[in-house]
Amino acid sequence: MKRILLALFILAIAVPAKAQDKLVVSIWGGSWRDLVAETVAKKFTKDTGVPVEFITGGTIDRLNKAKLAKGNPESDITFTTSHVGWLYANDGLFEQLDVSKIPSAVNLADEARISPYHLGAWAYVYTIGYRADLLPGATFESWDDLWKPDLKGKIASPDFDPSHIIAISAILSGSDPAHWEKGEAKLKALKPNFKAFYTNDANSQQLLASGETPVQVVLSMNAYYMISQGVPITLAMPKEGAVLGVDTVAVMKGSTKADLAYKFINALYDPEIQAEIAKIKKGSPAVLNAKIDPETAKLPGVFTTAAQWKQQINIDPKMRAEKTAEWRKWFAENIMN
Amino acid sequence: MLCAVAFLAAMIAVLQFSLRAYVPGSLDAGGFTFANFTALLKPLYAQVFLNTVWICFLTAISTLMVGYPLAYALVRADNAVIKSALLVIVVTPLFLGEVVRTYSWIIVLGNNGFINSVMLSLGIVKQPIQFMFTTFGVVVALVHVTMPVMVVMLAAGLSHIDRDYQKAAESLGAGPIRVFLTITLPLSMPGVVAGVTTAFAWTFSAFATPQLIGGGRVNMVSNLVYQLGFSSFNLPFAASLCVAGLALTIVVLSMLRFAARPLENIGPH
Repeated sequence: MKRILLALFILAIAVPAKAQDKLVVSIWGGSWRDLVAETVAKKFTKDTGVPVEFITGGTIDRLNKAKLAKGNPESDITFTTSHVGWLYANDGLFEQLDVSKIPSAVNLADEARISPYHLGAWAYVYTIGYRADLLPGATFESWDDLWKPDLKGKIASPDFDPSHIIAISAILSGSDPAHWEKGEAKLKALKPNFKAFYTNDANSQQLLASGETPVQVVLSMNAYYMISQGVPITLAMPKEGAVLGVDTVAVMKGSTKADLAYKFINALYDPEIQAEIAKIKKGSPAVLNAKIDPETAKLPGVFTTAAQWKQQINIDPKMRAEKTAEWRKWFAENIMN
Repeated sequence: MLCAVAFLAAMIAVLQFSLRAYVPGSLDAGGFTFANFTALLKPLYAQVFLNTVWICFLTAISTLMVGYPLAYALVRADNAVIKSALLVIVVTPLFLGEVVRTYSWIIVLGNNGFINSVMLSLGIVKQPIQFMFTTFGVVVALVHVTMPVMVVMLAAGLSHIDRDYQKAAESLGAGPIRVFLTITLPLSMPGVVAGVTTAFAWTFSAFATPQLIGGGRVNMVSNLVYQLGFSSFNLPFAASLCVAGLALTIVVLSMLRFAARPLENIGPH
């Protein structure tokens, strides 16, 4: 009996010890989790022998949970969008990064160096995606083409983030995203062309696939996924550039496995891993030394050189984090309702 | 007791958040302010609140109209197979989430959806009718979401009616329609009132259906909370919308209850 109790005791203390021997990564669910699991996590585990566990959830859910767990984070690493990363950083939830511990980060594109707390993991663009089969003869050489009267009641854009179209309206009005008010009249003129506002990637896909909204301000990776599923979408690259989006990675403040976390981020910037991510998601690698296959490299919205990065419309993520509420409110009051 | 304390604590947290200032670029709320509530006085928000009440009313009444015959058949059917089939039809939607049910309605109501395809192929219409992103589309989908609750409540009300009342009316020469209008319907009023009130309250908190079918063009209070609060991190404003929405629900349901009191008294005693 004593032996059994002793064995149970050893088991009881051994199991938690083993459970701690892993790196916990917070990320969105679905294909994003799978992407990291199949690429970075696989390499990290191969190199270190440490397994990776994922905590998945929506952007805001994870942000709120991280805030509640401040100082004793549930995860060691967090992936989030660049401007949301600033909310983490401003709240003291991210560790200030010691880039000397991430040697492969030396090849990061300038635009991927978001802050001392979070760095770009991969990039994409928001641009114009359209169903050429439903809009014969339509072309989108400029963002201004969205304002054409024959597109009345045909456009959809994300309801969760109007920053792209607000920035575009400001630029087309001769201003910039920081002085977005100058584009208000321009954006109001687009109102008749909006048919709906999509709520998430699945909703965007459904509206484009069904032809309900044959034109969308769409996430490039999402459009490529739909194309792979047989939806005939054409992705335009307007002459003004597409709106750059960067998903980022950071080490959580209070993580007891910061050294492992740095190794994980270093694995993320391995050129081969970055090339693999670009191939799977049809996004842009965050480092400039990734050798991505030519088929992926030539896709609109995928950029591999410093010059290509700079051609995109880059809304300062810090300003975006501060302006999101103001933009969202203005958009709801003046465009959506 | 513990649940009540936790619930009260959550309500107090929401209330205090609604009275705090939003700090751009931060998750922390600022000092105390009434600005979130004064911002709600804009016509846009009043319109969304009115739309919400209107959609809830339309949904509750439409659900009653569709649900009453189903509940009646469910209670009065003598054939066990028919009864079981009706029960399955009524209850099955409860096993699907609101999102799944709503996506199925997108397939039905879309421009290339089932209804438009049938009407176009039969030559009834030349252009697809726009059901999506309209109040009509949202109400149709909400009726489906609310139906099981309504039918269950109506069935409970109908099953409590003593059939001897109807037999007595029939023995005095009343036809089936007269029996229904003068005996069954009045005596089922408690179930009707309970069903309509529950459907109204149920619809008030609907989110996924107006979000997906409404496509940002038909907004209810919950959608506004999501749009202006959570997707833009302005949690104090979201909290003020929640408090205002809760107050409106209490007021409207109290009025509904007050107005329906005479009807409830008609029920069996």
